[in-house]
Amino acid sequence: MDWLEDELQQALRRQEPSPDFEARVTSTVSRQVNAAMRPVLLMPRWLATAAAVLAIAGAGAGYRYHQGHVAKEQVMLAMRLAGSRLNRIQMQMKAVRP
Amino acid sequence: MVFSVAYHFLRDRDTAEEIAQDVFLSLHRNLGGIQSAAHAGFWLRKVAVQRSIDASRKRMRRPQVALEDVAEPVARGVPSDPMLGETLRRLIATLPETPRMVMILRYQEDLDPSDIANLMAIPVGTVKSHLQRSLALLREKLVRRGVREE
Amino acid sequence: MKTARRSALTVVRTWALACAIAAALCAQQLKLNLEHLAAKASDSVDISLNNSMLQFAGKFLDGKDPDEAAVKKLIAGIDGIYIRNFEFKQEGVWSQADLDQVRNQMKAPDWSRIVGIKSAEDGENTEVHVCNQAGKVTGVVILVSGPKAFTVANIVGNVSLDSLADLGGHFGLPKLEQKKKK
Repeated sequence: MDWLEDELQQALRRQEPSPDFEARVTSTVSRQVNAAMRPVLLMPRWLATAAAVLAIAGAGAGYRYHQGHVAKEQVMLAMRLAGSRLNRIQMQMKAVRP
Repeated sequence: MVFSVAYHFLRDRDTAEEIAQDVFLSLHRNLGGIQSAAHAGFWLRKVAVQRSIDASRKRMRRPQVALEDVAEPVARGVPSDPMLGETLRRLIATLPETPRMVMILRYQEDLDPSDIANLMAIPVGTVKSHLQRSLALLREKLVRRGVREE
Repeated sequence: MKTARRSALTVVRTWALACAIAAALCAQQLKLNLEHLAAKASDSVDISLNNSMLQFAGKFLDGKDPDEAAVKKLIAGIDGIYIRNFEFKQEGVWSQADLDQVRNQMKAPDWSRIVGIKSAEDGENTEVHVCNQAGKVTGVVILVSGPKAFTVANIVGNVSLDSLADLGGHFGLPKLEQKKKK
């Protein structure tokens, strides 16, 4: 990357919205969610608000994302544990049979 | 990210916040269709790009001026970063919609040309051409302003 | 009448035997009743991921990250991962019965122990058991028992031992070259 591209990256670095932006959006989303509620609720009110808050926080897919992230961390931990054990076994076998 | 794309594209804080709020509302409505974190990121960018371009077309506050036609300032630009950054942002804002958004996605979001092409549904050759041409014009403008030697 | 009754019983016994054999042969997933160890452990890891959880988690693995890409490739053919890892402050917490509980589930002919290592240095016993069906590995169990540790890692499905060994090259572990068979 040359000097101009470096300068462009600096000039176009991410800007933050105003400090009360998040609160305003959360409030708007909650109002819209409540207004859309029918007598037969499809999901509990707290879950709708939590999902809205997660969306505003930029967590992407909200609850589903959170679940997926937890599952992913478990898979990585499982592979680390299994991999480290197997690696140790290989080391030990190599020490015996170089 | 969403606010920043809109802000750099429109150079209007209030409109950028309106767009960001609108995008997050849309995300909330479409949560069920989001498959993964990467999908969410792609979706947010794509909608931010679309809404920003729509807002720009509706607004039409300033007529689109080709970069070549942007007048040269009388005084020479001070070759220091704070001035240069603002100069660059103003020059980018005068680009036509598509190359302007291409530049923002490339240098704010650090996306590859192929990712930009996918996001904006335009050929990757077009993306590369916009990048090349916009960079060349920016260089030329900055040299003329005395900000940089050739 | 007696002959008919005897025939029926034979059928039932044969069927029960067939089911038992099938269950044993198909039981690449072990039953791990080790909660009593968790209660006494200073540190424990309990992971149970079935096929649907693995496929769901796979969507969140980043193909551009080398570690995550390797794991994504590995779990594509796996039906389940079940890990129980316990560490204790004192010795003598787990018993032979806990070991036997795991080993007894791998007595079917399809299971074979391919590695058995006893470390004099730390008194740790390590075993690797593999379930082979029609020439394919369909289950792996890594069983490690030490004075203050007890680990069972059960991987169910089409497991590539080469890929598992390859994992040693990831997560900051040194990679060992595999000797190719002549």
